[in-house]
Amino acid sequence: MTRRRLPEWFLLLLPAIIVIAAVVLIPLIFSFYSSFTPYKLTRPSTLWKWVGTYNYEKILSDVKFWAAFGRTILFLTIALNLELMLGLGIALLVNKVTWGQRGIRTMLMFPMMFSPILVGFQFKFIFNDNIGLVNNIIQSVGFADVALPWLVDGKLAMFSILFAEIWMSTSVFAILILAGLFAIPRDPLEAAKVDGCTPWQSFRHITLPFLMPFIFIAMTIRSLDVARAYDIVQIMTGGGPARRTELLWTLMSRTGYVDARMGLANAMGYVSILLSILFTIYFFHKLSAARAELGMTG
Amino acid sequence: MKKSRIISTLLSTVAVVAMFESVQAGEFDGVTIEAKLIGGDQYEGLYARISEWETATGATVDIISKKSHFEIDREIKSDMAAGTTSWCIGSNHSSFAPQYEGLYVDLNDYVSGDTVAEFVGGNINASTVGGELLMLPRAQFDVSVLYYLKSNYTDEAKAAEFKAEYGYDLAVPDTWAQFKDQAIFFADPPNFYGSQYAGKDEAIVGRFYEMVVAEGGNYLDDNKSPIFNSDAGQRALQWFVDLYEAKAVPAGTLSYVWDDLGAGFASGTVALNLDWPGWAGYFNDPESSKAAGNVGVAVQPMGSATRTGWSGHHGFSVTNDCDNKEAAVSLVEFLTSEESQLAESAGGSLPTRSAVWDANVAAAAAGDDAFRAESLAAFAEGAKFAFAVPPIPEWGETTNIVFPELQAAILGDKTVKEALDDAAEAVDELMRESGYY
Repeated sequence: MTRRRLPEWFLLLLPAIIVIAAVVLIPLIFSFYSSFTPYKLTRPSTLWKWVGTYNYEKILSDVKFWAAFGRTILFLTIALNLELMLGLGIALLVNKVTWGQRGIRTMLMFPMMFSPILVGFQFKFIFNDNIGLVNNIIQSVGFADVALPWLVDGKLAMFSILFAEIWMSTSVFAILILAGLFAIPRDPLEAAKVDGCTPWQSFRHITLPFLMPFIFIAMTIRSLDVARAYDIVQIMTGGGPARRTELLWTLMSRTGYVDARMGLANAMGYVSILLSILFTIYFFHKLSAARAELGMTG
Repeated sequence: MKKSRIISTLLSTVAVVAMFESVQAGEFDGVTIEAKLIGGDQYEGLYARISEWETATGATVDIISKKSHFEIDREIKSDMAAGTTSWCIGSNHSSFAPQYEGLYVDLNDYVSGDTVAEFVGGNINASTVGGELLMLPRAQFDVSVLYYLKSNYTDEAKAAEFKAEYGYDLAVPDTWAQFKDQAIFFADPPNFYGSQYAGKDEAIVGRFYEMVVAEGGNYLDDNKSPIFNSDAGQRALQWFVDLYEAKAVPAGTLSYVWDDLGAGFASGTVALNLDWPGWAGYFNDPESSKAAGNVGVAVQPMGSATRTGWSGHHGFSVTNDCDNKEAAVSLVEFLTSEESQLAESAGGSLPTRSAVWDANVAAAAAGDDAFRAESLAAFAEGAKFAFAVPPIPEWGETTNIVFPELQAAILGDKTVKEALDDAAEAVDELMRESGYY
């Protein structure tokens, strides 16, 4: 009788499986389980009380949650589109630079090197209505009576946190699109020039299709990032005032850590994951289509 | 300088002598006490004295965490969830204490009744939850009084203009109605504001709570059901709304908390400011404040029923899982002793022991610092009206429900009644879920 041995591929993968199970799978299962309990951090015994779908029912009928959900989608849509436009513009300009491009590329990365908390504090000061830089500039150029409530007015507050988010992360798009520009073969562009195409026609029909896979990869990465936007918003507005800038993660963190209602917060997390999954599926679908258009497979 | 050095040397000597009276030398030889303490400049002076207790008892204190109170609060909740609560001493606050169910010992079992009786009764009541004394208060008692710019009350033209407009003499406000009139009268936005208030989180709810009480209402009834949407509650919230609509407060006040308010009054651009004792020295220090030399301190104004008086205090608690509770309690007694409170309150904070209050007021009255005497007298008077937040674990959670609704009313998104009714409905649901009724 021969001893049954585990297949080699499984043995080789086992360390990775164990690590992934420990750091991803078990917390995932645990948090999913706790979303069916009234788990409060300060009352550990509540972890063992099963309440079924109570937390989910509560969330589904909670106007404040869905308002935060909708606001997060709006925030995501505006941030991604503006970051794309600005990133594309910056990448095209940097691509034209013939001297010192390496230095510019490094400088482009600077905003990404700051911690989001620092960026939050920086813009909280810049947009402060009383002692902030922006209002001081406005007042010093002649509008002495103006003190715009940047972090209080609903639209201005959303603008302010979007500004901070875009300032910090546009370079992600710029760098990835720049990498795409470097990868474009020169032949089609030169052929287009010989055939008399305008610069816009070359960009629209040659450069942009080549860039689309890079753009969708950047979109996917940033959509996951922005859907989890927390630090900057928490520091600048805390989701307020009157929930005017409340996003999913400010709501979830307050529920989970301040109110200690981890069961409910986890349920919110699982519902909001839908958002990330939808965006990821959408961008992957678009990425595959863009690659297929270029004759790439997979 | 010399005088303060002599006083601190004397205090140290008294403390060490007192230590030897209460504990035997080397009583806790080899014991290590792990502590999680609130950090910050104003708290460090007391911790410097820990070495005296170590020398007297032979024990060692290991401060394993030193953070702001909100960070310590989150850390302790995580510890409770993870079951890692074998450390011995935690900084605590009267607003936070009810949340930590089962974490801390009832100090009534460890501290003599005589010792407990030496503290201010109100502070001991606010440290007691469900009959259990969960912490011993340190000399960090907070109640807010009125800081104001004195120059506004010495201008005769301004006084005449005010009387013509409002029909009564301009004097430091004694009621919240007068406060509102004057804040609107003094305001000249965006260069000068009549007042300001904390606009978010627990800070604005605490202020609202004390205004509701001042108007004769309350936050919760005896069954813990919300009643802050009463007429008194509506009058209280209307006060915030009126000041905001009249632009008597900065538009950004809804994003302000304590540091922003302190910086605002110190900039000399705010006429009236309800604030905590810790700011007194800062406001009158020319190094840090443009208002220095122009700051007056008066007892907090009253509503239609009583004066406001939302208060809280810091303290130290001992965990149930601590291996050597006697040593931990000994350290807590040392940190909250008369000597420790004399030393800590010398920095400007308010004590929680009756004898230390008396000593400080007497010393200030006899000293040559008129501002210190004025502010201490105001705080001593203000402390008579002090009351704590409802001692329930859900207090913090209710504030997270209520503050966005208060903001919605102030910004005009909802009427005062709509906002309070919506907040009360949500708090009612929370109380039902928590099993109060």
